[in-house]
Amino acid sequence: MTNEILIQLLAAFLFTVGMLIVLLRRDTIMILMGIELLLNAANLSLVAFSKAGNMIEGQVQVFFIITIAAAESAIGLSILVNLYRNFGSIKTTTATTLKG
Amino acid sequence: MSLPIIILCLISAVLALTMLFAKSPITSALCLLGVLLMTAGIYGLIGEHMIATIQLVVYAGAIMVLFIFSIMLLNLSNSENDFKKKPALFIFGITIGFTLFGFFAYSIKNHFQFHLQDKLLGIFTPQLVAQLGGNSKVLSHALYSQFFVSFEVISLALLVAIVGAVVLAKRKVD
Repeated sequence: MTNEILIQLLAAFLFTVGMLIVLLRRDTIMILMGIELLLNAANLSLVAFSKAGNMIEGQVQVFFIITIAAAESAIGLSILVNLYRNFGSIKTTTATTLKG
Repeated sequence: MSLPIIILCLISAVLALTMLFAKSPITSALCLLGVLLMTAGIYGLIGEHMIATIQLVVYAGAIMVLFIFSIMLLNLSNSENDFKKKPALFIFGITIGFTLFGFFAYSIKNHFQFHLQDKLLGIFTPQLVAQLGGNSKVLSHALYSQFFVSFEVISLALLVAIVGAVVLAKRKVD
């Protein structure tokens, strides 16, 4: 087992845990943190693959993904502040207006 | 396998699991910060210094400050444990998730060599990168020449995100 495979395994593990956080937790802020973990796992995988394949495109892609993640978390947290203002809680179980 | 990478991987995995099971959001946020720092360490150890620095500054700096700031702002206390309410659903989810991880691990172990065929390898060998002046120089040159348009479009996307965040977080004047 080489370093590259170990890093890929770690990326897969982080992806799994991030997906479980997004699916199982009921706090909106936990869901946002899970999305950050998913993006981080994808970044790790991209960088390790592109390093192993002597390429530069993976690192450039990771640069863009980090920028998009910053934008996404700014938007997500302001939506969260609005959610708290309107419902008094950030649980996903309280914001059920669309449920019908 | 080198020992520092193994240690960083283990700490990172433990912190991710703690993040999944933690009750309070601030514990989870600090664990996420730990995971991001360990990832930056791994980037540095495999020789990607530019990405490691960006990870430290943007992810572990800016984004985590935003998260911790909003946890403080909304005064989130310990939520009642999500897992106590529906333990069956939780166990089902964990099982599905780690089965998926098993598939991931199987396919990584068996098909990792596929993209390392000679015809798929790039030109940026470590020797060439060192000769061209280091990882940061090569990456920055690619960003400002080959990926110039994407770079500009991403800056526009950041501007739109700033305006959108301000509009969304503004208190409504009725």
